[in-house]
Amino acid sequence: MTMEQMIPTVIFAAMAILLIGLSLIVVTAKSVFRSAIALTAALGIVAGIFALLGADFVAASQLLIYVGGIMIIMLFVIMLSQRSTALTERQTNEQWLWGALFALAVTCALIVQFRAVYRGVFATSVPTPTSVAIGRLLLGDMIVPFEAISLVLLAALVGAVYFGLDYEEKL
Amino acid sequence: MTLSLHHFLMLSAILFGIGIYGVLSRRNILGILMSIELMFNAANINLIAFNHFLYPDQVWGHGFVIFVMTLAAAEAVVGLSLVLAIYRNIKSVYTEKLNILHG
Repeated sequence: MTMEQMIPTVIFAAMAILLIGLSLIVVTAKSVFRSAIALTAALGIVAGIFALLGADFVAASQLLIYVGGIMIIMLFVIMLSQRSTALTERQTNEQWLWGALFALAVTCALIVQFRAVYRGVFATSVPTPTSVAIGRLLLGDMIVPFEAISLVLLAALVGAVYFGLDYEEKL
Repeated sequence: MTLSLHHFLMLSAILFGIGIYGVLSRRNILGILMSIELMFNAANINLIAFNHFLYPDQVWGHGFVIFVMTLAAAEAVVGLSLVLAIYRNIKSVYTEKLNILHG
């Protein structure tokens, strides 16, 4: 095995360990702010995995939309809605043990299936730039969902403004 | 050991399981929303991995991931403004406090 074949494996292993550790922090941290910071880092590592899989445009969009957009809004809302007493309160409900068992069961079932079916499927080509192909796809075969999603975004915008209004100011 | 498709699928399965645990066990609505984002990302890793290993000459997986990201952004915006409205009304973001409809 040559050095060039080892490098992606080592990078993948490092990113997988970091990603799993950060996501465990996201779901277990007592402070919601800390879990939001961990989620920001985890989404950045997911962008790295996209890049490892040859998805250059999607990796860049992941960084722009998730890390730069969604997480900033989430941090604002956390800072607007948390009280300092939350740090001393319990952050899990009574069914956390059953939730953990269920999540473990789902994960094990998925892993067994994936190992059985997709073991030994290797990449057959080297990654190429994808931006041109994605642009042609979005404005060609995917034009209907592309137009529909602009309506969804408009509805989300109006909904966010409506819910964000003060109660007395509402029509 | 060369990377194969099932390595990426196993990583996304673990990420999905962690997200399920977060959704089921968190008391805080914001924690539940963040766990849902984790599950979205597990699904996105699956789409990109299948695209890369099985259909390397097409980009349908990338297109779907872009749509999932856009919908996640819309969902986060509406969900977070709902959280703020709830917080203004009942001064709490814990799920067990949201029972004012059951009389």
